Amino acid sequence: MSEPLDIVILGGGTAGWMAATALVSLIPQTSCRVRLIESEEIGIVGVGEATFPEIRNFNDAIGIDEAEMMRATNAAFKLGIQFVDWGFKGSRYIHPFGVHGPVGMDHIFHHRWLRARRLGLKGDIQDYSFAAQAARDCRFELPETRSTRIDSAYTYAYHFDAGLYAVYLRGLAERRGVVRTEGKVKDVIQDPETGDILSLRLESGETISGDLFIDCSGFRSLLLGETLGVGWEDWSKWLPCDRAVAVPSERDELSPYTRSTAMEAGWRWRIPLQHRTGNGYVFSTSFIEEDEAATSLMRSLETKALAEPRMLKFQAGRRVLNWANNCVAIGLAGGFLEPLESTSIYLIQVAIMQLVPLLPGRSIDPRLRDEFNRLIDLQYERIRDFLILHYKLNSRKDAEIWRYCAAMDVPESLTRKIELFRHSAIIERYRDGLFPPTSWLSVFIGQGLMPEGYSPLADTMPGESLVAHMEAFRADISDRVEEMRRHERFIDLYCAAEPAVAPMGTEVRL
Amino acid sequence: MTRRIEQVVVVGADAPAWMAAAALQHSVGAAGIRVRVIELPTQLHPADAYSALPELARFHHRIGLGEHLLFSRCKAVPVAGRRFSNWSGAAPPFIHGYDRSPPPAAGLGFTQLWIKGRQKGLRTDFENFSLASVAAKAGHVPVTAGGAELHAAFGYNLDAGAYSTLLRHFTMSGGVESKAATIADVEIEGDRIIAVILNDGERVEADLFVDASGPHASLIGRMPGADVESRREWLPCDRMLVASAARLKPLPAFSQISAFRHGWVGLFPLQDRTAVVAAYDSRETSDQALLEDLPALANMPIGGDAIVSDLSQGIRRRAWVGNCVAIGESAFSLEPLDGAQLHIVHYCISQLMTLFPAEAGAFPEAQLYDRIIHRLAINLHDFQLAHYKLNRRFDMPFWDGCRNAPVPETLQRKLDVFTARGRVPLYDDEVFQEQDWETLFIGHGLMPQSYDPRVDAIPEQEHIAQVQARMNDIAGLVEAMPSVDDFIAGVDQRQKEGTTVG
Repeated sequence: MSEPLDIVILGGGTAGWMAATALVSLIPQTSCRVRLIESEEIGIVGVGEATFPEIRNFNDAIGIDEAEMMRATNAAFKLGIQFVDWGFKGSRYIHPFGVHGPVGMDHIFHHRWLRARRLGLKGDIQDYSFAAQAARDCRFELPETRSTRIDSAYTYAYHFDAGLYAVYLRGLAERRGVVRTEGKVKDVIQDPETGDILSLRLESGETISGDLFIDCSGFRSLLLGETLGVGWEDWSKWLPCDRAVAVPSERDELSPYTRSTAMEAGWRWRIPLQHRTGNGYVFSTSFIEEDEAATSLMRSLETKALAEPRMLKFQAGRRVLNWANNCVAIGLAGGFLEPLESTSIYLIQVAIMQLVPLLPGRSIDPRLRDEFNRLIDLQYERIRDFLILHYKLNSRKDAEIWRYCAAMDVPESLTRKIELFRHSAIIERYRDGLFPPTSWLSVFIGQGLMPEGYSPLADTMPGESLVAHMEAFRADISDRVEEMRRHERFIDLYCAAEPAVAPMGTEVRL
Repeated sequence: MTRRIEQVVVVGADAPAWMAAAALQHSVGAAGIRVRVIELPTQLHPADAYSALPELARFHHRIGLGEHLLFSRCKAVPVAGRRFSNWSGAAPPFIHGYDRSPPPAAGLGFTQLWIKGRQKGLRTDFENFSLASVAAKAGHVPVTAGGAELHAAFGYNLDAGAYSTLLRHFTMSGGVESKAATIADVEIEGDRIIAVILNDGERVEADLFVDASGPHASLIGRMPGADVESRREWLPCDRMLVASAARLKPLPAFSQISAFRHGWVGLFPLQDRTAVVAAYDSRETSDQALLEDLPALANMPIGGDAIVSDLSQGIRRRAWVGNCVAIGESAFSLEPLDGAQLHIVHYCISQLMTLFPAEAGAFPEAQLYDRIIHRLAINLHDFQLAHYKLNRRFDMPFWDGCRNAPVPETLQRKLDVFTARGRVPLYDDEVFQEQDWETLFIGHGLMPQSYDPRVDAIPEQEHIAQVQARMNDIAGLVEAMPSVDDFIAGVDQRQKEGTTVG
């Protein structure tokens, strides 16, 4: 690596600035130089106000101070996602960021719980999740690090203003050496033989050349899709939602969880931040008109709207390759999965963190490219299956979309997981990809799939002791949760944003 | 839920059968399920030895078997790795040490630092940064006096017959019933075993049958859809010879695997003898010729107990059919090149426990078991195959053939990504982890062409200091470790003092 690698990032939304900050922070400028082109005229989609706990690894790796970042982005904590009306109308469960049962027992705990239930144990499985109990109670403290403690059994993520997060990262990235160019791309200059991208010509006439181009241009996928012609794999037969309408409203109770409420043609999110509440309705135009959906969203708001609702169009799927020639797509330019499990920023992060160790030299090594694509495909497919699970496992009969989803064929990789859980409560594990068994467990049970059987390994303890044991464990969690601070109070102490009103973006946020 | 499983019958012999029975008794036995063993005639010969990875200690711990018994009853020798010699032309031997990788700093493994160091002129070989390899070279056993955690572990060489006997006694004392017999017939209806008919006419019924009969596959071999995919195309050795030689003095802390013209010869030190194993291609050499060459290849006189057998290497398309679950070599076989034989038994048993059927009527768990065991087999075969693929014994038809033959895509990707960047893609159900693959690849002479660009963020002085510090740490730790002979002599003493071994 004698001559530094010239990396050009096209697009400055969340994806672009996350990529720029990571590259400039992790790799010295003697090895790679990073330029970012963005236009203030082009709005950003600003994916994900809600995040997944993995974002903390990203922030740690690039040296971000948590409290400072949270103040700058009006962030609040998140212990999980509450699903309302999903399995059936009136149902309610939390997908927690933490195990059910004691740490290190997740292979057997739910089997024991299933047995105890047959023996008369009351309550539901979330009572055994520290994160779920704390979330329900609107409490938050940083997790204990000693794994023997009951309050070490969870992790957390953030609700934040993704636009402000990008602004925050931009500040870091520019201080650390990223060169930002304001402008719009007019032409993409390619090598006539290989098709590799040589440079981008801007409307200003300036030409920016590079060795590696990172396409963060959003849905348009200007480089990977439009220029290199990489095809799109459509997953809308499993994930039929194709629109989101979003609107911010005044601050509401600061619950430390995202709420997802199933609606007549999709679902609605509620994301509490320090200064406002994010709301949106993800829906399918096969089942509802845009206007009707927007009206429905506005009617459902619990606090006063702060702007007009904004509409966003999309399709579930991903590019057949996320890295082709000398171009890597990160973020929406590479694929889209609806924000049901807050995975948009995670997908950006994982692409960056896979790219960094596989970063090519000035000529592209196809072996590195193929490995990157393999890893990204695994991530997409595993998240896809997990999202489909929410739609597939519903017993609502009151709306057409739910009847369609309950009846639809799903990928074989998902069918077999559902069937095995139904029969014996076994959850398949995998090495690469998001969602540990505890996540699958919470959705299976939460959506009403109660297994027919459970492992005989759960039969070793006498029944009475098992039930007593379970009840004691639940009480231990409740006792500890009661000692915790209220989430709002913790934020006041830890990372309260300045009282000045943060700029209200007009962009739609997912 | 229909009826629970009430009875499990293990059919097999030797260590695999008793490992399965002990583990079942310990787990589902405690839940009231009756566990029985139909003990088939032993397949072991007096010269046989098991060479086991460190993970075996975890198995013993789980079932409650005291480690000291291995040393007092099974002629056990602790080994910190395996030394591979003569695989790569004039290149010196290397040791695959049983390291447990320390957590990487900021996502960067030490390997990446070493690759850059190498490019900058660092002359120290990769294995010198492995705690287990350095311990093995020094003849030391990776343990600390106070029992503190080390990033290295040791496996065992065991007398196969004695270990099987120990497990048998242990299992029987745990309440498992057994009967020595041979199989006269197996009654199968559709894909279910109704009963196993023994040679004395007894009809043994059960809800679940575990086939631990090794390559004989006494049950699974009769089941529909469980035929074997041959791997001969990739793994050419088809004959195996086992014999004994004199005890090595002092005892080394590693097993030795040397390539020769037609295959390889392994020396596995035991307390009272050395087990000698040769795997070779029958198209290349005859049993007789090999036996004549063996003293020269092993560099020691060979005892009169040599025995030769077929070595078939294949993967059963399904390892669990109906109510019949194959474990270990009943599910897939491999040569004893990397010491995984007992580990695959352990791995299969662990999977069977995790997937233990919820009821006796239907077994949807089987499909997942099949997928897991198939992946495990492919990954292990790939590891083994990499030794052959990367050989640099030129101008020998056997070895030229191994080097030039294409390998499965799963292995080719590992080779490619490692060559390009020094990283090893790992799949689901890998026994060997990143550090094992790296050691194997680098040891056989595969050098990465580039390294993780994050390494360049470490200033040169700090880089050098980190490399030096690692060597110093290892040297200090190894110096404090006991020799193999001292370790064995001290086992009884530690047992009395109540400290656990391993």
